[in-house]
Amino acid sequence: MSLIFKSILFSFFMVMGVQAQQSPQLLFDEANTLLEKNQFADAMNIYRQIEKSQQVSGALFLNMGISATQVDSLGLAKYYFLKSTMFETTSESATEAIEYVESQFSRQSATLPKLPWDKAVDWLKDGPSAFGVFFISFGLLVLVVGFVLLKWFNIFNFKKLNTVVSSLSITCILILILAFYVDYVDQRYSEAVIITTEVQVKQKADESADLVSLGYEGYSITVDHKISKEASGWIYIRLGNGQFGWIKSSGVKIL
Amino acid sequence: MIKTGNHIGFIYSLFLSLFLFASVHSQDITVNASLTETNIFSGEAVRLDVKVTGQSINSIDRPGMPNIDGLRWLSGSTSTAQNFSYVNGRPSVSYTYGYQFIAQAPGTYIFPALEISVNGANYSTKELSFKVLDPKTIDSGDAERSPDIYVRLEPSNANPVVGEQVTADIVLYFKSEVEVSSYNASPGWKAEGFWKEELENRQQASATSTIINGVRYQRALLLQYAIFPTKSGKLTLSPYELIVQVRQRNRRRDIFSFGLGQERKELATLPVTINVSPLPELSNAMFSGGVGNFSITRSINPKKAYVGESVEVTTTITGQGNIPLIVKPDYEYPETLELYNPQENSTITRANRQIGGTKIFTDILIARNEGTFEIPETNIAFYSPSRKRYNTIKLPTLTLEAERDPRSAVLSDTELRFNVKPITGLANWVSTKKEPLQTQRWIWWLFASPLLVLGVAFGWKTYQDKMNSDTAFSRSQKAKDKAFGELKKAEGQTDLKIGYNHIQKALNQFISDKLNLPLAGLSNQQLADALKEHVADVTSEEVKRLLDKCDTIAYAPNASIEGLELDIQKAQELIKQIGKLV
Repeated sequence: MSLIFKSILFSFFMVMGVQAQQSPQLLFDEANTLLEKNQFADAMNIYRQIEKSQQVSGALFLNMGISATQVDSLGLAKYYFLKSTMFETTSESATEAIEYVESQFSRQSATLPKLPWDKAVDWLKDGPSAFGVFFISFGLLVLVVGFVLLKWFNIFNFKKLNTVVSSLSITCILILILAFYVDYVDQRYSEAVIITTEVQVKQKADESADLVSLGYEGYSITVDHKISKEASGWIYIRLGNGQFGWIKSSGVKIL
Repeated sequence: MIKTGNHIGFIYSLFLSLFLFASVHSQDITVNASLTETNIFSGEAVRLDVKVTGQSINSIDRPGMPNIDGLRWLSGSTSTAQNFSYVNGRPSVSYTYGYQFIAQAPGTYIFPALEISVNGANYSTKELSFKVLDPKTIDSGDAERSPDIYVRLEPSNANPVVGEQVTADIVLYFKSEVEVSSYNASPGWKAEGFWKEELENRQQASATSTIINGVRYQRALLLQYAIFPTKSGKLTLSPYELIVQVRQRNRRRDIFSFGLGQERKELATLPVTINVSPLPELSNAMFSGGVGNFSITRSINPKKAYVGESVEVTTTITGQGNIPLIVKPDYEYPETLELYNPQENSTITRANRQIGGTKIFTDILIARNEGTFEIPETNIAFYSPSRKRYNTIKLPTLTLEAERDPRSAVLSDTELRFNVKPITGLANWVSTKKEPLQTQRWIWWLFASPLLVLGVAFGWKTYQDKMNSDTAFSRSQKAKDKAFGELKKAEGQTDLKIGYNHIQKALNQFISDKLNLPLAGLSNQQLADALKEHVADVTSEEVKRLLDKCDTIAYAPNASIEGLELDIQKAQELIKQIGKLV
């Protein structure tokens, strides 16, 4: 009886799992067929459909980037390749593709090196992520609680246990704060790519405001979502050279 | 011998005569002040003449000019004139100082007396009364005098729509006795809310005769501007300022113009309000921003190009209207065609009181891939003020054929190599849904769980510590279990004496443990009394009754097993009851 129940349950989850994966994969196969026939625009439309369903993969973005190099702006191609680098399976190919795309841009942006702190936060964001940092903090908390319990019930004790517990507790809190900070940075700032030939970077979110700089296709920029909420249709950005300003949101793809 | 005393008397007499002569002369000095006009229109120029006359004037300290209510002094325009004449056979000299003012706010004012020092003596002018008149009264016919000359800004249309051309005429009105020799427009006229363009103006303005409120004036159109409102609402054109050189034909000669009779006047128009209406809503077409009458064409050149070669899509807009305000149409280009810096050129004509010309927009496109591409048909509209509706022009579809340049094949193979192949098999799908860390409830629960465990462990540890260290607490906690254990022994007993002994032991032990009393040596009454402080009297009496029964069971004549079982149950109930209260 139990065996029958388990079998039904297993089959149910298998079917559910396959169905959940079937839809984007089917569309993906269909789009790939079009891609192989050099029907890049049609393939791109289907890829976009998959992207909208919020089911993504490195292969999807890689293929979108390849289609974009053929049918659309190179800026858009760079955007998709950058998305593809976020996936381990396609990171290498996407990096190679980005090198090619970058070489095709007529204008290259000067890029200021990041500060060590920003580099560290980026590393945490892209590596363990906020969740990973949070779980490190959680692990330390479990350790602290374990030590305290062992001591209370006289199972385990040593001379400097109190010092160890205090140090671990402080470290745990600091790492927890770091996890939330990494998450905050992740939510507030996003990398983006300019996909139109030229955008005007303005001092204010106003057509008539003074011009700060010009941004060209393929420039990587950083978007500040918090400040961007102040003006509809505009986004507040930081250019690679450290300049800040407002641009219209239509000419940019946010990673 | 010479008598010196007579010489001294002669010299004294001579000095006295000279002094008296000088005193007589000083009494001849007169100081007068007058305004060239005492009824002055706001914005009109007026001159104060201070005239010092006398037969012998050695020194004059020119008077300083205080702030005058109703007038603004033009400090750089003060002039001086000197005149010699013979009055009754005696020579006379006069000095005249001219001070220029501009009339300010309408009202009646007093020009105060001015102090002037002549030959070391102080003289004072008389106060002068004058009125500043409202220039609006000229047009309404309520003016107290008709000014000799004034200027007006006359718009061709006071109720245009946004972007419609309004011709603003700068018109000079002057009486026949006034001759205008030249005029200069003050730079910096602001037409806020308008885009303005100067029309073709004649070198020399011709005057026509007109009658305004019964007075004959010459009307001269000096300048014309085309102004285009850029927003809707009530927009005000600020005063336009002019400087004119005039000569009065019938007036006596002006001493300040070196005999030419010329006078410099600063004039300003009244502010004019234009009521601008918004453009109506437009659907199914792209608005070019044009208001007027235009023809619009679009072309592509070349129609065949190599991949990477630039192609121009040119939109030409020609006609009359707000040409400079027309914006570049945004066409929907196929994704393969990349749009580069658009260019625009315009030529403007200003003839016949109308702004017109041609505006050319050029989109530079580069095909990134070979193929035939279509730039779709586009409807573009402009607003026609004469017809009071939009005119829509259909721009036909443009086609571009792009092919690869055979000469660039080698280059693209070597330098522009793109070796990344698409992934066409199975892919690992992940969800992109991402929520902030702090909004996920399970995160907080997860983090709180070790702390909850710690809290529970702390409670348990505290309990254990108390059980080990606090005997009373420990006895109280264990009392119930012990008592029930004892009662368990009583159950099933066939020997009534032993059974009741267990009941007595259970009750004694339970009450002693709960109330932290000694285990032995207490009578039933003492136990009941101690219990009374915590439970109801009925309960304590019931406990005493049961304990007494246990003591006397050996002598009870009608004791039975059933009675024992009932008393065990009774004891259990009492223990539970006391346990809740103590």
